[in-house]
Amino acid sequence: MKVSSVRDLEKLKAKGMATLCPDKIKIMVGMATCGQSMGAGAVFDAIAAGVKKNKINAVVKKTGCIGLCHEEPLVDVLLPGSPRLTYSRMNQEKVAALLEGLRNGAVIKGALGRMDEDEFLLGDTARPYKKGKVKKEILSVPAYKDLSFYKKQKKIALRNCGTIDPEDICEYIAKGGYFSLASILAKKSPEDVIAEVERSGLRGRGGAGFLTGRKWRICREAEGDEKYIICNADEGDPGAYMDRSLLEGDPHTVIEGMIIAGFAIGAQQGFMYVRAEYPLVLERLKKALKQAEGYGLLGKNIFNSGFSFTITISRGAGAFVCGEETALIKSIEGEWGEPRQRPPFPAQSGLWGKPTVINNVETFANVAPIMVRGASWFSSLGTKQSKGTKVFSLVGKVNRIGLVEVPMGTKLKQLIYDIGGGIPNGRALKAVQTGGPSGGCIPKELINLPVDYEVLAEAGSIMGSGGLIVMDDRTCMVDVAKYFVSFLADESCGKCTPCRVGIKRMKDLLEDITEGRGSREDLVLLENMADAIKESALCGLGKTAPNPVLSTLVYFKDEYLAHIKDKRCPAGVCKALITYTIDRKMCTGCGACVKVCPVSAIEGEKKQPHMIVAEKCIKCGACFEICPAEAVVK
Amino acid sequence: MESFSRSTIDGFIKKYQNGTSSLIATLQDIQEACGYLSRDAIAYFSASAHVPLSKIYCIATFYRSFSLTPRGKNLVSVCLGTACHVKNGENILHKVGRDLGLEACEGTTDDRLFTLEKVRCMGCCSMAPVVRINDDTYGNLNQSAVPKLFAHYRKAEKE
Amino acid sequence: MESNGMISFKIDAIAVTVEQGTTILEAAQQAGISIPTLCHHEALTPYGGCRLCIVEVARGDNRQIVSACAYAAEEGIRVKTATDRIIRLRRFIVGLLLAEAPQAKVLQELAEELGIRAPARFKPRNELCIACGRCIRACREIVGVSAIDFAKRGYEKQAAAPYFERSEDCIGCGTCYAICPTGAITLRDIAEGERFTQPDGSVVDGPARIIDNWKVNFEMKRCKECGEAFAPAFQLEYIKKKAQLADDFFDVCVNCRP
Repeated sequence: MKVSSVRDLEKLKAKGMATLCPDKIKIMVGMATCGQSMGAGAVFDAIAAGVKKNKINAVVKKTGCIGLCHEEPLVDVLLPGSPRLTYSRMNQEKVAALLEGLRNGAVIKGALGRMDEDEFLLGDTARPYKKGKVKKEILSVPAYKDLSFYKKQKKIALRNCGTIDPEDICEYIAKGGYFSLASILAKKSPEDVIAEVERSGLRGRGGAGFLTGRKWRICREAEGDEKYIICNADEGDPGAYMDRSLLEGDPHTVIEGMIIAGFAIGAQQGFMYVRAEYPLVLERLKKALKQAEGYGLLGKNIFNSGFSFTITISRGAGAFVCGEETALIKSIEGEWGEPRQRPPFPAQSGLWGKPTVINNVETFANVAPIMVRGASWFSSLGTKQSKGTKVFSLVGKVNRIGLVEVPMGTKLKQLIYDIGGGIPNGRALKAVQTGGPSGGCIPKELINLPVDYEVLAEAGSIMGSGGLIVMDDRTCMVDVAKYFVSFLADESCGKCTPCRVGIKRMKDLLEDITEGRGSREDLVLLENMADAIKESALCGLGKTAPNPVLSTLVYFKDEYLAHIKDKRCPAGVCKALITYTIDRKMCTGCGACVKVCPVSAIEGEKKQPHMIVAEKCIKCGACFEICPAEAVVK
Repeated sequence: MESFSRSTIDGFIKKYQNGTSSLIATLQDIQEACGYLSRDAIAYFSASAHVPLSKIYCIATFYRSFSLTPRGKNLVSVCLGTACHVKNGENILHKVGRDLGLEACEGTTDDRLFTLEKVRCMGCCSMAPVVRINDDTYGNLNQSAVPKLFAHYRKAEKE
Repeated sequence: MESNGMISFKIDAIAVTVEQGTTILEAAQQAGISIPTLCHHEALTPYGGCRLCIVEVARGDNRQIVSACAYAAEEGIRVKTATDRIIRLRRFIVGLLLAEAPQAKVLQELAEELGIRAPARFKPRNELCIACGRCIRACREIVGVSAIDFAKRGYEKQAAAPYFERSEDCIGCGTCYAICPTGAITLRDIAEGERFTQPDGSVVDGPARIIDNWKVNFEMKRCKECGEAFAPAFQLEYIKKKAQLADDFFDVCVNCRP
């Protein structure tokens, strides 16, 4: 069936609503990569089999990441007329209890959160789940909006993740999807679209934060009939998985955004550049594209408007540098991913020399909401210069690890403590790292800073794609600098001297420092090199590579000095500068350490205090990990 | 005996020549079909499609996902993303390397059962540190849990 | 831009007018302003990798540091080729390269011009290939053979024959050797009666051409008239085939031709 009008779309909407809010019991299992790697696949299979076997009148659906990654596998249960309940850390035992409860019509205990209504962000409405009286046991479950993890969040890009089935386009349509496209193609001009996006203040969510509307305008005004849209789904920052979750949970919001962008700049073809390491994304995207094509929402003459647009998937092959626009272009062209100098900018001369708009996944996800709700609505959120919301992957040493979306301007402190629940194991916050290898470490003293492009840049970091790594007092900041520099040395394309040679030499210096061979002069040299690389490197990778080094030199100089002057690693991380010993008073002589030591460096009689032979010890940390008496110290 | 099927590669060459498939995508297809970029397959592709061998070698050594040597039956990927790094992912890597007898913490075991590679982020940060073997992901690891991981695959091999 | 396809802009204190498409480097050369280069060669497409030719460009309010060889000049820009900042950065770049290849004469000369020494803190790598890509571009663009290309990425990036083994496509023309700025390519022509033992132990008898880097050796063709060994036989076969020349076209060397 080809969708050629809003009326056709309404039919699909009805279809989607029927599965989104069915009359029967609905069970939703979080099936994004994080859920699956925690065992959601087995949970899904068990529930599906159990429902069939027990002839329970229920439908079992897959859904995307709802953000509560630390509680995976997650299962949501929607009993007709009842609020939606979320169950966490599902295992075979809990599945059995769930099926039991469903069979008996009883409320299953242990729900983590309760949703009273289904928000329809695009329609600015909410559809209540409950009808009539609701059992007390259900009301006693905390409402999502009251959960600390969710209170300060505002989901725009992630609005459908965790609610819709990403493999069913009708559910996306039921949530208002593709109506925006229909309306634009029927009533708006490309100029209208660009003006609206410009007014919204949307800035690139990939990290650089370039004004999206301006980029589209430059491309529209560039000469030529052949233009391209590229979605950058290369997401290379380690610790960042926002784009992965978006594409696994709601691929159509990105697709619709790309089609609208294509219309705005006058492109007929789009590419999705997906990194090699995301197999589930590829799978979900292929399905989504097929469905969209099947309904004529992609292809020729969309909505009978005369506008045609197709999207092709291009797979990455394992190179972080291909997240850089000009390297990405070369990779789609089939070449090795070496960036080139700009100007010319891709918006003027990009893929095969034609004007090209490259935007990040999250940027595209915001387009339909902006077009439907309006630029004023979007720009009412956020700060003066940073409008809207931002998705972050809150990871590292934080209690509630997960995927969150907050209005720009939210303070880092709120992200770490209110949403993240603070630092685990009673340890102290030391720093938060933003922007991946292009970013910097923000010390705990600056934790009141709001999330904002310019504020973070001034503090020596960048917004980046959204990876937010929380670090505690057991993280060595010199080691962190070394980690990022080593990463970039591995990923440098090797074209320009400052990056190819400079980063490697910075890595050598950091290795010397962390292995006890550093000197004070090294710090001066490191800083000078970092400054020079920042100024003379060819592309964004090289230009921002010095940020982790410079920010740690500014905020954590004392740690560098401890490594240099005292040959000591205060956080107890740098192997060469720590020694493992056994506290004779604590040791019970159980011998657990002897069993795990790979080099037989531990001596001792049964039930007698043991000893580590320093010359043999390779500092693998296995004994430290296993000692039940916590007698191993570093 | 050739390590690849000519007809399969011919199909990929056709797509390359008519522009549907880029050079990288074609090499990805060849790797998927042969398990790795075998020397014979590459030479055949180069000659049939008139792509300089030097260019193919350049691309194969630029991108990490390409392998010019045969891979082991089971692919072991240790995540060294930032979240895994701050949770001692390096120690896990070294432990895996020791257990597999791979000193450099990468490469293929002599019995061709395992290939070890480092990956930069699998997006499973909530269960850091993480190791993936084929399609199975193992999280919240400590060093003592590592030996048990391989036992399962070694046992499957014996059967 | 003027309607005749010409662009006017400033380099240092000098006002220049050039054809659209002219790079800053070309314009500077035309104006008699010297900008140091390394990976650039007038016979090859620009690469912009070494970053030695960097200059400051002001375009309206926007300031940037760019490789002059790869930047097509624009109307009204203001270019500065030798500010303190640029000199400092050139010293940095040459310093890094000098630690890579201290034996390279071209780097020693550049260092002297810039008034620097090799940075003492860095252990010299003694690797003459600085990944400038001139040999590769020459082999691809001038000779049209593409026997070599870059291999690996990052610090290990270097020009190589596939698998770092004997190149099957090399025709022994020696253009790579001629165009390499640091002398990283070793080419020897050995005469009749000479013998050379290659690193793998195999022996090559003259007259022959040996290029160590690509592990190739070629028998030289002798002139029917004077008996001189004047070019690799393999190379001549290649040229004959490509240009569709008569089979005996190269039987006589260029000196003996009528």
